[in-house]
Amino acid sequence: MTLKQGKRRAGMILLLVFMLIAIGLAGSGCVKGLAPIGWSGGAVSDGTLFVGSREGRLVAIDLADESRQWGDPLRTTAQGGGFLGCAPGAAGGGCGAGASGVAIYGTPVVSGELVYIAGYNGKIYAYTTDSLAMRWVYPREGNLEPIVGGVVIAEDMVYFGCSDGSVYTLDATNGDPLWKFETGDRIWSTPTVIDNTVYIGSFDKKLYALNATDGIKKWEFETEGSIITTPLVSNGIVYFGSFDRSFYAVNAADGSLKWKFMAENWFWAKPVILNNTVYAGCLDGKVYALKGDSGDKVTEFNMGSPVASSPVIVNSSIVYTSREGIVYVIDTGSNALSQLAVIEEEVYGPLAIHEGIVYIHTQDLALHRVNAINGAVLRTVSLKVPE
Amino acid sequence: MNAWELIIQQPVINALIVISHYLASNFGLAIIALTIIVNICMLPLTRRQLRSTKAMQDLQPRIAELQKKYAKDKQKLAQEQMRLYKESGVKPAGCFITMIIQMPVWIALYQSIMLSLAVAPEGLLNLSKYLYSWPVVYAALPLGREFLGMNLAEPSFILAILVGATMWLQQKMSMTTSSDPKQAQQSQMMLWMMPLMFTLLAMSFPSGLALFWASSSIVRIVLQYRITGWGGLRKAPSSEVEKDKKYLKFDESAEKSIEAGAADIIIADGEPSKPGKVRYQPGKDRSRRRRKR
Repeated sequence: MTLKQGKRRAGMILLLVFMLIAIGLAGSGCVKGLAPIGWSGGAVSDGTLFVGSREGRLVAIDLADESRQWGDPLRTTAQGGGFLGCAPGAAGGGCGAGASGVAIYGTPVVSGELVYIAGYNGKIYAYTTDSLAMRWVYPREGNLEPIVGGVVIAEDMVYFGCSDGSVYTLDATNGDPLWKFETGDRIWSTPTVIDNTVYIGSFDKKLYALNATDGIKKWEFETEGSIITTPLVSNGIVYFGSFDRSFYAVNAADGSLKWKFMAENWFWAKPVILNNTVYAGCLDGKVYALKGDSGDKVTEFNMGSPVASSPVIVNSSIVYTSREGIVYVIDTGSNALSQLAVIEEEVYGPLAIHEGIVYIHTQDLALHRVNAINGAVLRTVSLKVPE
Repeated sequence: MNAWELIIQQPVINALIVISHYLASNFGLAIIALTIIVNICMLPLTRRQLRSTKAMQDLQPRIAELQKKYAKDKQKLAQEQMRLYKESGVKPAGCFITMIIQMPVWIALYQSIMLSLAVAPEGLLNLSKYLYSWPVVYAALPLGREFLGMNLAEPSFILAILVGATMWLQQKMSMTTSSDPKQAQQSQMMLWMMPLMFTLLAMSFPSGLALFWASSSIVRIVLQYRITGWGGLRKAPSSEVEKDKKYLKFDESAEKSIEAGAADIIIADGEPSKPGKVRYQPGKDRSRRRRKR
């Protein structure tokens, strides 16, 4: 081969490599949301905040001295990932995931001496709160479909919905399966358990009310869109939003419609209720204040960008964060909205509150802290494992 | 939302969702349908590109001649090539310009498919900002991922192979044999490298994207066939004749009168030709043979 031929061949290979990189980047980089990253919120218990990090680990932060403890990384499933490891369908991060690890969407739940967490790898884990040692995992062998919603603990039972369309219940002490209820499509919603009833929404457009003891269906309510919001139950009424852009109130006893309110985009965040007024954040960038008994609109608050993050209640105020990272506070007495702080990071996950400090888990592997009273932005806590 | 998202991505995403809704909520069919629609919309451009490519290919022998003739005078070679293009009405940049115009449409389609699939929860959340306020759009989401027993959100080996095979066929159709061995070698390399590369990519990305690549290639094969024929897939006429030829050597004594000593006889269907069908090699004088008899 002559020098000229060699150069030409090298040029050709270089061009092909460049094309390969360009296509790969266009696929995973430019198309946002291809890889599962996770948006776990924080749960505080005895001065320790537990959160699922983007690295796929349970992190325990002592809020007094900011010391951190990391659990073992959740393990990815064997399948999926594709030839070049770019496919996002399975548990792993994929090309665009940045910090690769199992995505954790559900907020950890603390009950007794255990902390529970659900992984996108289709497993439920129970760790001890003091040492983050794993107590049990379900299923012990293999994996379920990805779990996007969080877990709920009630009466020593763990409840969660799965992408395989089923609601599962486990024994909280050892992870043994108890009962399972199948819906018509994927479940990404976190259930709500109250008065021995499990309320959960499904992509099959229905909200289900199940007997918490044996999983027998009490009633179902059909909407015109998939349901992802965690239902809020208060005074015998179940409040939830749907992808049909409507916010619903149905009677908890029989599932009959009480009222519904139409917005301009999907409802994603869990609503809150204060003084008989329901506050529902919507992806149209607004928070709607609706009368709990009639659904009449009291007012609406413009947050400027979609509201996917579930809020927290601080005394008589509600703290919301828009996707663009602007922290707002709604004074429910005067129904006035004011900007509390700007953290300049995208926020998807639910907020956590402890002693007047709002904890916000962002996409940059950090936990931001904002004083809910004066809006002071405190030093962020990194969730990254030290090298 | 930026201009690209507003003008290109958003309409394509909503079109995909609406088509999916009217095709029994089958996203796979929606991908195929939209690929066909986009190809039909771009037909004038595609036709121009294909014809331009074909014309360029047809000129290759003459260009090769020029290259040989003006091997030592690059400037003259360039002038003569330009003159040839001008005389033949071929614009060398034409097919590249058409490709550049088409590129954003294909990228938009590709990105829209990935966004609409919303494989990860972040993807579904992100998708909400692209939706038009049509009830049909909101109700249809999230889209079903099942297509012919495959999950469109996960890689599919079968579709990856289909991508490679259809891309190879399409490449082969648009390829012609070059007289320049270097160019022929490069064409051969591209013929295999591109399909191989896309096969690997298809094995790594959600199969919804592989379905788009495969259906695009199939549509282009059909269009190419309609516009320029089978192209590189068609066997060269000369080689077809060669394949059917059988050679018999004449007896020396019978050939005394023939100066060259041997003649070709074409045997049709394995049977020796009748004397009247004997074809002489070029340059041989048939009348002279008759005279000798």
